[in-house]
Amino acid sequence: MRKAIAGLLAALALAGPAPGQETTVYPAVVPRAPLRFPADHGAHPAFRTEWWYVTGWLKTPQGEELGFQVTFFRSRPAIDPRNPSKFAPAQILFAHAALSDPKLGRLRHDQRIAREGFGLARASTTDADIIIDDWTFKRGADGRFRARTAGEDFALNLDMAPTQGVLPQGDGGFSRKGPKTGQASYYYSLPHLAVTGSILRDGQRIAVTGQAWLDREWSSTLLDPAATGWDWVGLNLDDGGALTAFQVRDKSGAALWAGGSLRSADGKLTKLSPGDVIFADARRWRSPRSGASYPVEPCLTVRLPGGPRTWRLKPLFDDQELDSRAAGGPVYWEGAVSAPGARGYLELTGYAAPMKL
Amino acid sequence: MSPAPALSLTGLKKSVPGGRVLFEGLEFSAAPGEIVAIMGESGVGKSTLLNLIAGLDLPDVGRIEIGGAALGEMSDDARTTLRREKVGFVFQAFHILPHLTLAQNVALPLVLGRAATAEALKSAHDLLDAVGLGGRGGDYAAQLSGGEMQRVAIARALIHRPALILADEPTGNLDPETAAKVLDLFVEQARTHRAAAVIVTHSEKVAAVADRALVLSPNGLSLRHGR
Amino acid sequence: MAASAALRWMVWGEWRAHPARVLVAAAAIAIGVALGFAVYLVNRSALDEFERAVQTVSGAADLQVRAASAAGFDETLYPTLARIPGVRAASPVVELTARASPDGPPITLLGLDVFRAAQVTPSLAGVRQGPAGAGTTPFDAGQVFLSAAAMQASGAMVGGAIRLTAAGQAASFRVAGTLPAAAEGQRIAVADIADAQWRFGQLGRLQRIDLKLAAGSDARAVQDAVAAALPPDAAIETRQTQATRGDSLSRAYRVNLEMLAMVALLTGGFLVYSAQSLSVSRREAQFALLRVLGLSRRRLLGMIFAEGGLVGLIGGMAGVGLGLALAGLALRVLGGDLGGGYFQGAHARLVFAPGAAAVFLGLGLLASLAGAVVPALHAAKAKPAVALKSAGDGVDPRARPPLKPGLALLAAGGLAALSPPVGGLPLLGYAAIALILAGGIAVMPWLAMALLTPVRPRRPGPAAHLALGRLRGAPGQAAVALCGIVASVSLMVAMSVMVASFRGSVDEWLGQVLPADLYMRLPDIQTGGLDLAAQADLTAVEGVRRVTFRKMVGLRLAADRPEVVLQVASVDRADPARSMPLTGQTRAVPVGATPVWISEPMARLYRLKPGDALTLPLGGAARPVAVAGVWRDYAHQFGAVAMDSADYTRLTGDTLRTQASVDLAPGAAPGPIIAALRAALPPGMRDQADFTRSQALRAYALRVFDRSFAVTYALEAIAIGVGLAGVAATFSAQTFARAREFGMLRHIGALRRQIVGLLALEGALLGAVGGVAGLGLGAVMGQILIQVINPQSFNWTMDTRWPVGLLTTLFCALVAASAGTAVLSGRSALSAGAIRAVREDW
Repeated sequence: MRKAIAGLLAALALAGPAPGQETTVYPAVVPRAPLRFPADHGAHPAFRTEWWYVTGWLKTPQGEELGFQVTFFRSRPAIDPRNPSKFAPAQILFAHAALSDPKLGRLRHDQRIAREGFGLARASTTDADIIIDDWTFKRGADGRFRARTAGEDFALNLDMAPTQGVLPQGDGGFSRKGPKTGQASYYYSLPHLAVTGSILRDGQRIAVTGQAWLDREWSSTLLDPAATGWDWVGLNLDDGGALTAFQVRDKSGAALWAGGSLRSADGKLTKLSPGDVIFADARRWRSPRSGASYPVEPCLTVRLPGGPRTWRLKPLFDDQELDSRAAGGPVYWEGAVSAPGARGYLELTGYAAPMKL
Repeated sequence: MSPAPALSLTGLKKSVPGGRVLFEGLEFSAAPGEIVAIMGESGVGKSTLLNLIAGLDLPDVGRIEIGGAALGEMSDDARTTLRREKVGFVFQAFHILPHLTLAQNVALPLVLGRAATAEALKSAHDLLDAVGLGGRGGDYAAQLSGGEMQRVAIARALIHRPALILADEPTGNLDPETAAKVLDLFVEQARTHRAAAVIVTHSEKVAAVADRALVLSPNGLSLRHGR
Repeated sequence: MAASAALRWMVWGEWRAHPARVLVAAAAIAIGVALGFAVYLVNRSALDEFERAVQTVSGAADLQVRAASAAGFDETLYPTLARIPGVRAASPVVELTARASPDGPPITLLGLDVFRAAQVTPSLAGVRQGPAGAGTTPFDAGQVFLSAAAMQASGAMVGGAIRLTAAGQAASFRVAGTLPAAAEGQRIAVADIADAQWRFGQLGRLQRIDLKLAAGSDARAVQDAVAAALPPDAAIETRQTQATRGDSLSRAYRVNLEMLAMVALLTGGFLVYSAQSLSVSRREAQFALLRVLGLSRRRLLGMIFAEGGLVGLIGGMAGVGLGLALAGLALRVLGGDLGGGYFQGAHARLVFAPGAAAVFLGLGLLASLAGAVVPALHAAKAKPAVALKSAGDGVDPRARPPLKPGLALLAAGGLAALSPPVGGLPLLGYAAIALILAGGIAVMPWLAMALLTPVRPRRPGPAAHLALGRLRGAPGQAAVALCGIVASVSLMVAMSVMVASFRGSVDEWLGQVLPADLYMRLPDIQTGGLDLAAQADLTAVEGVRRVTFRKMVGLRLAADRPEVVLQVASVDRADPARSMPLTGQTRAVPVGATPVWISEPMARLYRLKPGDALTLPLGGAARPVAVAGVWRDYAHQFGAVAMDSADYTRLTGDTLRTQASVDLAPGAAPGPIIAALRAALPPGMRDQADFTRSQALRAYALRVFDRSFAVTYALEAIAIGVGLAGVAATFSAQTFARAREFGMLRHIGALRRQIVGLLALEGALLGAVGGVAGLGLGAVMGQILIQVINPQSFNWTMDTRWPVGLLTTLFCALVAASAGTAVLSGRSALSAGAIRAVREDW
């Protein structure tokens, strides 16, 4: 389960039909539906919402360390399917890119949004191939993912080569999100992507290398009504292992649901259930913009068959808050974090205001 | 005559637009302080002569000098300036401007020149005093009798201490008694200011008070018979 | 310093003595300045408003591509433009004219892709109000955002419902929120583009695409690239071209009003002239005295100029204030177009313009100084010795007044009248009017003498004798008294001849273009309309003899020009004159060519004549057509093209029609037939259709016409008032100057009423001379208005008609008024002591 922006889009998709309008029927997420590639890299337009979500660490030739995220979303609003207009918003595509730059001390970010159509915005169903105007995310014949996002004050131009196999989350890609059985998504990850490419920052093109993480998820059913936010973390472990952990919080801050997985370097996959994942509160940072207080340095404990393991997460820098209120989006924290022997991304939502869906 | 004459005319000829010659070869001069009466029948050219002297009209032939300055060589502007500085006028019809105060009327010649307004008005009040209209500088022409108006005109003619005063029938519009008083005033003031005066008149009384009385005829000016 | 004190005394003394005279002259200038400034302000405010309106609806895009007609262009242009390098974002727009109720005001309905609009035209983004929740996405079907004015006009409220009819289809919407960025008074509704396309029959069509350019891109190069990608039925529009179009929409009308105001100012100038000449001639002896006392010629000139300048300054300043007040009033009462009907729905606010105020103040000063030139020169030239003795006029009654300068001015006016327009405006035409006016006034002394010399009453009473003698003896003064009146009367005559001709021609034209009994119109339907089946249904209604279906389509032939109207109607090929009021020759078009008949304005604006070829953007392609003839049209100032219905259908495949003219069967009553026709319409159009009987339509058109000329009439009336004030001022000045004359007359035994009679007769004679001159000059100037100015500014022609009744009334009223004025203004001079007047001999 991920992504604040996804929540916004999901809200769009949740919109009920106007009176007298035919209702839109979304397929359910069911267990034991095997993942198929390359088709599952592509879009699943019948489902309500879907994302391609890349996060990672970059390094410049000067040794400077940066965080980045490139995310493409697809959402299917409930519209009257009889409307033959080519502008009918059958699919909404949205993309978001951010660069965590410690020298700047805050995020650079930009986005694209469009309704699918006229070839200006589209998401292929056969493989990962999404276009929103000048932004693209595409899997090449060589299996590498290429992201091109040019924003107002920065641009990312990154090639990401898989070094490991697909990591299906939950039960073979069926991932529960809440206490009710219907609250689930199809979910797989590609950790340890080897990144090469360049970024454009302050008008300067800088070559970068790094390591990234791709999350793919699609679903029709959303969070439990009691949920007010969630915490998510994905860590590429230096030994080649990959840790995924998340919790969905209720109003009191208690975990309503939790889960994740640990794939060790040798490929052994451990599924985490509620109770296996504990985000212990550590240092908090208060945003001067929103006033929200984020647990930016949590202590993550995961119960494993071999005994609990703890990662003390440290943010690349504190102010990785993303304020998309101006564009009608939520305020949340999403940033590069590291722990001894691990690097990854942490997302904290529902701290400024409950994520109301 | 050792001092320069206030006015001198030499070889003056003037004809009317129709071609009739009014006079020819006219010679004349007046000393400072001298009062000259010019008489003659109507239509003989007395007023024309006065206009020539004032520089309001130009002779066909001849030379006019006022205080040694020759009018014929001057531009209209220069003649205007000369008039402003050296010549005073008294008219039969007074020509007191109805919408100006008496003091303003009197001060006009000074004010048209370079004098400061306040000083000009002060001189005007002094002169009005001298002509017997003390304290009436703020009045308007409508409040005056004919004799009083002519007193104002005399004051106006003298205010800039002219070398020459030209008067055209100054008592013509006045009753005999008033006329006599105004004439006395005129003569007295002219002499006080050592201004030469040329008075065009039909009046014997005026001729009687003049130093010289001349008669204008087509042949020029000649001394009046019996004087 | 001191010399200027003398001048100050002189000027101040004169003014204190005759304040009314100074006031009238200043008032004349004030009125002229006020009218000019007010008209300017109203225009400026209206234009600003129009610009604001354009900007609101277009949301301040960098570049806009607009359809040549309301039918729009193919939507596939959208991705093409979006992909052009340098285009940062493209926002497709469906733009329709909608109504919330059949008789409600039009509302601009915009169908937007909210994601695109947010990038290109963020000001068009709606702000959701009321409870959020299910069914509230920005692109929800069935929701609209309304501007405050649209909310007000429709009576809808946030959360409520609104039923909008556009393009012949009606749809209900939920009001989801407001458009806070819309300019005040703009009625706009924003819906989702897909919804708008679907519900109003616009599938596949767009009316416009707004473009945002990438930062740092070469705007010119992008514009060229966009232009190269456009189909014939779309054109680029920048803010400049929009503004130009808004400007040209009403430019000619505004220039006409502005010029009329200038004419009032000109009349004011003549009044100053007349007042100054009189005051100068009356004071000739005073000036002579000053000259004798030593005032130089230059100084005297300066003094008279200063007097005129002071009058101009006072009048000008009063005029600017008055103009501001007048403009405020006009905007409130008449609206931004002063009743001209150009800026529909616009709600103009008064904009003060300090620069313009200075210009108009300067014009007032100039008019006043110009008025003082002639008298000042005259006074400075006068021989002091002569002037000192003479009383007043100083003109030898035996001398013939000069004729040549006036004739030269008249000739120059004639030349100017024959010149072509300047910058699309009849500026030289107006120069011609001014020159002819000046020339006419310059020949007035001559004319007054020529007209009065033959007047020999058989048994002249003493009054007539004296009056004639006076006017003949001093024609210069008579002319001076007349010039104000001649100026205003001739202008009034010119305007009334023009308006009468225009109205008559329009009336006749209406008869020609409205031959049927009934007209049906579907307002605001530029796309969509009655299909063939619906047309057949209407034709089948009982009591209907014949129905002809028509359609009007706006076509933009040039981006910076307003749309021309394509009129689709059946045209009688054998005799097109039966179908429209043709003027001039028609021409057979080559075999196979599509004939069109163009309107007179179109012919002039696009320089076309019968036999010429042109292309029209129809059905997505540039269609070559041939001009077969020209017809008279007063309805579409920016041009119209008539095309036969069959040709239009063949070229576009469009069989929909939006208008119908209905001939009734003999004896059929229109009322029930209208009801039957309405019932036969498709449901969506039933409420929307407008049925009018041709009589009502004609009456309505003439009412609109009269309203738009109401301001013109008002300006004329003011000009006449100014002229009469001039007569009054002249007479009071003259009678005052002639107090001695009247005093003498009373001494020798004239009765008081005889003198009053003398004045009345003089006034009447003067009025008659002025009237004759005014009528003559006005007739000439009217012809310039009809033959030069109207064709040049509105591109239409008209036949001259003489409003004989009006002109006769005007003439009689003028004679009576000037006689009355003369008596009134003479009385005061008469009552003032006649005895004293004689004692003064000057």
